[in-house]
Amino acid sequence: MDNARNNTRELVHGLTALILALFLLGVSSGLGVMKSIVDIWGAVLFIPEYPAVVMREIYLSWRSWSRDKNILSSEVSRLQNENAYLRLELAKISGGKVFSDDKNSDMNTARVTLRAPMSWWSEIRIDRGSKDNITQGLPVFSRGYLIGRVSTVSTLSSWAELITSSSFMIPAVIEETRELGVVAGDGNGSVLLRYIPAGRGVRSGMKVSTAMIGEELPPGLPIGQIAGEFNIGNDGYTTYRIEPGADLSRFYTVNY
Amino acid sequence: MTLVILWLIQDLLTVFTGGGMQIPGLFMLGVVYRLLFSDNNNDDGNLWAIWSAFAGGILWDIRWIGIPGFFTLGYVVVVLIVIQVWGIIPPQGRVSGSSLLVFILLECSQLIPPMLPVLILGGNTGWGYFLMQQVYSLPAILLTMYIYLQKARDNQV
Repeated sequence: MDNARNNTRELVHGLTALILALFLLGVSSGLGVMKSIVDIWGAVLFIPEYPAVVMREIYLSWRSWSRDKNILSSEVSRLQNENAYLRLELAKISGGKVFSDDKNSDMNTARVTLRAPMSWWSEIRIDRGSKDNITQGLPVFSRGYLIGRVSTVSTLSSWAELITSSSFMIPAVIEETRELGVVAGDGNGSVLLRYIPAGRGVRSGMKVSTAMIGEELPPGLPIGQIAGEFNIGNDGYTTYRIEPGADLSRFYTVNY
Repeated sequence: MTLVILWLIQDLLTVFTGGGMQIPGLFMLGVVYRLLFSDNNNDDGNLWAIWSAFAGGILWDIRWIGIPGFFTLGYVVVVLIVIQVWGIIPPQGRVSGSSLLVFILLECSQLIPPMLPVLILGGNTGWGYFLMQQVYSLPAILLTMYIYLQKARDNQV
């Protein structure tokens, strides 16, 4: 009798748990509070996970050393940071908006702590927050190329919107022709340059960077290069596919 | 407490590998292992397993997926399958000749949770992904099965 009663109770509880899980699945993706919960849980786990983070860093460092590439890779990384910093300084000198008051000569590095499959091409979370002087709108780089900008800031972490996000739109310029357009993501991993008038001699390989118009980002930040024509609209404007300078499928740290 | 430790070990291993390889679902192996010894005649039956899996799944989703529900669903489904299938077998028949069934139940705990998100969302995750995941999980499954069979035989004697 008890066994039968328990079977029924297990079934009821099991189905309740299933329904709750499905309900959470349905509603939580649209809840803004989820990011806060994810951040809080990440902060709670920071302490128990710390040994694993340290061990991972030690292992990666050892592996790099064992291949005799440690010095070389750090030198390349330093030069990339310096290159990106110099581009930013150039942008400031040429009249762009100064977005950082940090007087350090090197760019800072942040670790990517979450890249959710549901928003793979839209946003990432980094382990730097307002305590590290991160502010909303701050551009984020990988290998010296713009990959997004900070969208939400909390004390210990921040979220950055990627250039592949469908809601990411910034004015950009083709450096060789000075044609202005809008760089926008499609949410599926592609980056497009829109609103370029047809027949302006734009070719593959031409460099694309942020434009001076608009106040959100300073001009001159490198984005990538023209990869090819995407389509020509009936309105006479051409959309080009951009090959980002950064590898958006494989980055574990970002610069800011 | 054991399940909490297993969850943390699974989490730490995932942090350590940086997502470079699939970590066996140690937490669910622990839940299924305990379920295999569970006696359904006590007051609460196997309710602990259902809600432990639910809580473990939510925490895993919040930590690694960003949206609660995916692994929560998978974990609860696995627990229900184990409870229903294991409940059919009479206690006398759960040691002799049950190796294959134990293996299948443990395998379910490793295959279903990561597969559900792909089935729900779609995407181009190939069978190679799941094959590699099962290869990584196989040692943990076999070890759990070995420990179970040893302990079950000792209890029977």
